[in-house]
Amino acid sequence: MTQEVGTLPLELGLEEKIQNRLHSAAGPWAKPNPLYLGITLVVALILPWLISQMNGGRFFLHLIILFFGWGMLVQCWNLIMGVSGIYSFGQVALFAVGGWTTAVLATHYGWNPWVSIWLAPITTVIASLIIGLPTLRLRGIYVVLLTLAFHELLRNFTTTGPKIISGGGYGLKTVPKLGFETWFGGGYDKILYYYVGLVFFVITTYAIWRVLHSPIGMAFRALRDSETYAISRGVDPFRFKLFLFGFSAFFTGLAGGFLTHYQGAISPSLFNFGILINLLAMIVLGGWGAFWGPIVGTGILTILPEVLRAAENYRNLSLGIALALIAVLAPQGLGPLISDWVKKAFRFFRKSQQQEAP
Amino acid sequence: MEKLAEAIYGGLLSGSVLGLMALGLTLIWGSLRMLNLAHGSLYLVGGYVAWTLINWYDLPIWPAFVVGVVAAALVGLVLQITLINPILGKPGWDNASLIATVGASIALESIVLLIFGARVKQMPVALEGQFTLGTISKANQGLLIIVAALLSLFLLSAFLRRSRHGMAIRAVSQQTDAALLMGIPTRQIFLIVMVVSAALAGLAGVLLSSIFYLTPTAGFNPMIKALVVTIFGGLGSIKGTIWAAYIIGLLEAFLIVYMGSSWALPGLFLFMIVMLVIRPNGLFGLGEMQRL
Repeated sequence: MTQEVGTLPLELGLEEKIQNRLHSAAGPWAKPNPLYLGITLVVALILPWLISQMNGGRFFLHLIILFFGWGMLVQCWNLIMGVSGIYSFGQVALFAVGGWTTAVLATHYGWNPWVSIWLAPITTVIASLIIGLPTLRLRGIYVVLLTLAFHELLRNFTTTGPKIISGGGYGLKTVPKLGFETWFGGGYDKILYYYVGLVFFVITTYAIWRVLHSPIGMAFRALRDSETYAISRGVDPFRFKLFLFGFSAFFTGLAGGFLTHYQGAISPSLFNFGILINLLAMIVLGGWGAFWGPIVGTGILTILPEVLRAAENYRNLSLGIALALIAVLAPQGLGPLISDWVKKAFRFFRKSQQQEAP
Repeated sequence: MEKLAEAIYGGLLSGSVLGLMALGLTLIWGSLRMLNLAHGSLYLVGGYVAWTLINWYDLPIWPAFVVGVVAAALVGLVLQITLINPILGKPGWDNASLIATVGASIALESIVLLIFGARVKQMPVALEGQFTLGTISKANQGLLIIVAALLSLFLLSAFLRRSRHGMAIRAVSQQTDAALLMGIPTRQIFLIVMVVSAALAGLAGVLLSSIFYLTPTAGFNPMIKALVVTIFGGLGSIKGTIWAAYIIGLLEAFLIVYMGSSWALPGLFLFMIVMLVIRPNGLFGLGEMQRL
């Protein structure tokens, strides 16, 4: 076979392209590039110390911590929405389950936040199985409605439910924080939260990367692209989807617990449609179903609105127009577009080096 | 007895308006296979345009209502041409149409917010006065809404059954490819469907905003309820949708009268969850052929 390919009149560079395609498609054996990984991690470890020296550094650190929390949620949602094509709008509800679990335990039952935060993912997984069992037997538009229904039910429950949960309709305002305010004589809390967030974020990202590049991930993409064919090859859709639901719920719940303890509050305004749309926009803007998409999208939509503070009033308008434009003009989102540019830049760089060498 | 009458009246009222909203959604789903999440903002367009004409330009009520409906239809036309047509039939249609309509609805809502602000507005009533039936007395406006909605439902079903374009719409929603092969210009039909459904949403907005208030987010609840109705009635089925609208409307009214208004939406959702678990294709479900 290789000889035949070799004899084809391939244009220059096409072979390399095919090789690249093969590597990324042969997911189950993919390994992260240790060099890039190492550089990224070192930068991420040093970054908070540099930023905290900057003017307004604390606020910038706050944004990055939010990026970690929302990034976990958005990555998990992308796993369900983009990768496996289940139109679930219940991800914020799951996030809220995680947040409320640890908030109630820590506020009203005096648990140490460091312990109760680990119960958040567990209850979230249980909740996701409860939502998933009826939902995942349906498809398409039915899933949209059923998950939105759970979203609204939970909103209603957290607004009018028992007082230890609803706080009388205002949510829980005095959730204990993780206690970093007094460490090392104070003043390092943002940096410490940054590291906790970083650890959670890296674990989530690695787990998702591992699942995507495993036989399970292949099964999901097969189910999304042609369900009939995948089923006839022995992929059980219900079992795989339920697994994915639970898997992504685990990290969503963890993100919920983390952000709740970071902000020291959680309220029913979390269920506002605007937040749901904003998170959806992160997925769409970054790239629907791609691994890097949600990370890029979360980054853009966390940092950009703060940079463009003056245009606050036009935020939703531009968000809506951006969503519509992306759907029409660049259905793959900005993530693949940017990574294409980076690759092209690299190739250009390499070529110019090769030309200089001889 | 009085409570029962109250519930039935409320059910007929909201059922009529839900029918208008849901029929638009189901028409679009039937022909385009698209979940139009911008439907609620078309409701807004109808309501706000009519309100503006009455309050800022002192137009009489009836012409303002008509202009409101026409404006909603025009916005629907623009949406179809600028957003839906370019992605029609491309791969990833499901995702793209969902995102495009969500984007359009956010954009329209925030335009309304920028122009009119977040303060609630109320439309003046078209018919003053009360009518009494036994011991119950109700505003004439409610009666007007029921009659207007029923009339439009009747006209619409006549249009779908009798006219050439209506039959073409039904053909397209049954078998798009076959309809195309029989020489029906499907793109033109899609455009007609979008305009008709936008006009229905606008009509619902115009009629309902004299009872409920107009806010920039007022379109969301009717849309969600209409979605429940469409799914309950079996997607794409017109007869099922009208039945479902009245059933859901009555259910909602009974929940409000007997359990309190905070139970209306959660009660509907619980009902729908149970229903979808038992009958995954809706009450009059046509059964998606792709189900395995």
